[in-house]
Amino acid sequence: MASDVPRSSIAGSGAPERPARRSVLNWLLATWGGGILASVLYPVARYLAPPDIPEAATLSVSAGSARTLLANSGRVVPFGSQPAIVIRTPEGELRAFAATCTHLACTVQYRPDFQRIWCACHNGQYDLNGRNVAGPPPRPLEAYDVNVKDDEIVIARRS
Amino acid sequence: MRGRLRPWLEERLPLADVIETLRHKTVPHHRYSVWYYFGGMTLFLFGIQVGTGALLLLYYRPSAAEAYESVQFIMTRVPFGWLIRSIHAWSANLMVACAFAHLFSVLFLHAYRRPRELTWVSGMILLLLTLAFGFTGYLLPWNEVSFFATRVGTDIAATVPAAGDFIVRFMRGGKDVTGATLTRLFGFHVAILPAVATILIGLHLLLIQRHGMSLPPSVEQRAAKDPGAIRTMPFLPHFLLRDLFAWTAVLALLAALSTFYPWELGTKANLFAPAPAGIRPEWYFLWGFQTLKYLPPTVAGINGEFLAVAAMGVGAAAALVLPFVAGHTPRSRRIIVWLGLFALSFMAAMTWLALTGSAP
Amino acid sequence: MKPFLTATGIVITFLFGSRHVKAQGGIEAATGAFKDDVHAAAGLTCNSCHSRSAQGGERYAAIPRTAIAPLCARCHSDAAYMRGFDPRVRVDQFAQYVTSTHGKRMTAGEVRVATCSDCHAAHGIKRAGDPRSPVAPVNVATTCGRCHGDATRMTPFGRDAAIPRDWSASVHAVALLKRGDTSAPTCNSCHGSHGAMPPGVENVANVCAQCHLREAELFRASPKKQIFDAIGQAECLACHSNHRIESPADTWIGLKEGAVCAQCHDETVGGVQTIRDVRQQLDRLSAAVAAADAVLTRAERAGMLVDEGRQALRDARDQRLQSRVLVHAFAIKPFAEMATQGVTAARRAQDTGDAAMRDAQVRRRGLAVATLLVLAFLVTLGLKIRRLPDVHRE
Repeated sequence: MASDVPRSSIAGSGAPERPARRSVLNWLLATWGGGILASVLYPVARYLAPPDIPEAATLSVSAGSARTLLANSGRVVPFGSQPAIVIRTPEGELRAFAATCTHLACTVQYRPDFQRIWCACHNGQYDLNGRNVAGPPPRPLEAYDVNVKDDEIVIARRS
Repeated sequence: MRGRLRPWLEERLPLADVIETLRHKTVPHHRYSVWYYFGGMTLFLFGIQVGTGALLLLYYRPSAAEAYESVQFIMTRVPFGWLIRSIHAWSANLMVACAFAHLFSVLFLHAYRRPRELTWVSGMILLLLTLAFGFTGYLLPWNEVSFFATRVGTDIAATVPAAGDFIVRFMRGGKDVTGATLTRLFGFHVAILPAVATILIGLHLLLIQRHGMSLPPSVEQRAAKDPGAIRTMPFLPHFLLRDLFAWTAVLALLAALSTFYPWELGTKANLFAPAPAGIRPEWYFLWGFQTLKYLPPTVAGINGEFLAVAAMGVGAAAALVLPFVAGHTPRSRRIIVWLGLFALSFMAAMTWLALTGSAP
Repeated sequence: MKPFLTATGIVITFLFGSRHVKAQGGIEAATGAFKDDVHAAAGLTCNSCHSRSAQGGERYAAIPRTAIAPLCARCHSDAAYMRGFDPRVRVDQFAQYVTSTHGKRMTAGEVRVATCSDCHAAHGIKRAGDPRSPVAPVNVATTCGRCHGDATRMTPFGRDAAIPRDWSASVHAVALLKRGDTSAPTCNSCHGSHGAMPPGVENVANVCAQCHLREAELFRASPKKQIFDAIGQAECLACHSNHRIESPADTWIGLKEGAVCAQCHDETVGGVQTIRDVRQQLDRLSAAVAAADAVLTRAERAGMLVDEGRQALRDARDQRLQSRVLVHAFAIKPFAEMATQGVTAARRAQDTGDAAMRDAQVRRRGLAVATLLVLAFLVTLGLKIRRLPDVHRE
């Protein structure tokens, strides 16, 4: 229960002490309250400012320069949490696939001597359309869309 | 400067009226008055949800292809995104708990009685809206657990005869749970439900202002015998400061929960994968989920699941119209209390059974 | 399963000599099994293979074991005839069989070796692709093992009966039988089926190279190839064994007792430094991977998300795998480059984990500050509430 009169000192000061104590309390409240407000507003302010990487690379990702990807060669790039491979066929066409071998999940690479996408782990081979044509892989590689914008290759998941 | 601001505002806004009204507002102070805080706490948590929800909206993307990644982005790349998201999730759960506590305390203290019938009705609808908020929001991270929980939850609506299929299609935006479901539930969660809730909260608060805090019958009886026996406290500043105390404590609790028990991200939903074992809805739906498990497939020729759903529907409807059918005698009040205790224990027991993983 | 067991019963009956069989039971089993036979489906009958018995009537004469393969070959080596059933089916099985150890001995009159009906069954014959067939990939080792795992059968020929058991303990058996990976080799993958012969010392590497091409390429380019050729040592076999092929371990590389290299190498023979370097770098790489994994797991338990770190760790594990492959170059250079890349990736993963742990600490410290402020606020507010005048109304 709130008591009506605070225990004043025996010297009987009474009324004048109460405002002083109350203003100290109020001041403390304002200080702590301001601190709490700051510890709420600071994270919110930081949250509102856009981060360095403005969005997640989910649907599409850059796969480097188009000029430096020569015919009959390939390049493995990260795409989200999985690797992707982008190849330029001997005819010059760009294609991209998921680079996780469908056999035991090793990362595939391009073999210019076979002109195939090749998995080093157990000699699995995929043709230039991603189809599994030799060795253990049981399924083709997932195909991605490829576009070129200002010499930048952009690969995107097929929706 | 401050001395000039106030008169300027008072000339233009009805500030003086509002402050005067509030200054005269009192709140009864008795052994049960601790329960008066739960309504305000629910409102406070709703405010937290609106605030953190608005912040999440700046980065969240409501499509099947991007939802999970956007939540992952918020949790890993956005500064304090982890905090905003975890607070949103924890506060949702606390809000549901508070809403139920508020409901049951109002029930046991008989605050639904005349003239507060409409307050009760609007409150019941708000509780249902809160559960709807929870259900719609749960799917939005588009992870495995939420995807399958939504599928199981919407499946239950199919047991309703005649209208069941339509209800399921309405909730899912199609036959199955897909990206269309995500977009639809998102629309409900951030626009439709908030709009309706705001209107009802406004009504609810207005009615509370109009009628003040209800006195439990036992306290009222004591007041009838001895007019000076009721202690009250002024709303300003006594009650409001106590409210502030509770709200600040809960805010700190939310921060601690978010730091030590951050809400999980899970794995992205895969529409074609089989359901993992142990799929279940959020804890506040568990009691219903468990009840369904105990019912036999058919009871006297009627679909068992439908019976349970119908029973729950009847229960909700009865609760909705409670103030209009409840009697005023002490005996009928005792019946209400027993019914309420039964409902509460039933829900608690079913929830506990579900959590301990028991199956029929 | 039932036709297979029935066929097995019949085969064993034949192996012990048909005269000792209760003819009645044998014929019933045979006709029952034949109902689910590819030949029956193609319209063949008992008459197609059996001639009437001397007793006459419905009895059919059992076919002498040495006559079985030529009998089957009457159709199965006739390309024009087989084309009518399946244009792409092979017709060289008998030709291969007579080059095999089984075929050579059977032609010489030894009936205790395998012929067509021993592996394919006699009456309930299924296609090799049918999982119930005794020659389906998952069943081949069991079928071969019926003789090659039986000491009473193998000892007369001076052969080891432990081989099927050895293979069952290998990584290939685990891949085929537990993971269902039908690309994993079983008996006929390396030995051939109809022309079954052990590959022979010079040819073992070609067999392994069908799948393990990279390792074979590296080995052939390495100094080891000439040495092994010179001493007549089978390539892959020397370190990996042929049947009980187990997961290789980094501890195989070393000069101490128990290491595989130590079988030939000691301090005096060349390559000591390379062996030591390779082992040391592999150990270093494994330690880096383990340390990164540990800190990432700790970070995850503390509630932090470390996807980038996990990706880097995946890269490191990938590079560790490739380093182990590059061991087959038996030289330090390409191996060391890959191993170093692996260590770099593992360190990157570790750094992510460490940063996440530091972040977790920052979060906790921030929470502590905010909580202290809240506590101070609550205490002060509590005091203020207590000091509020008690106002009775009503």
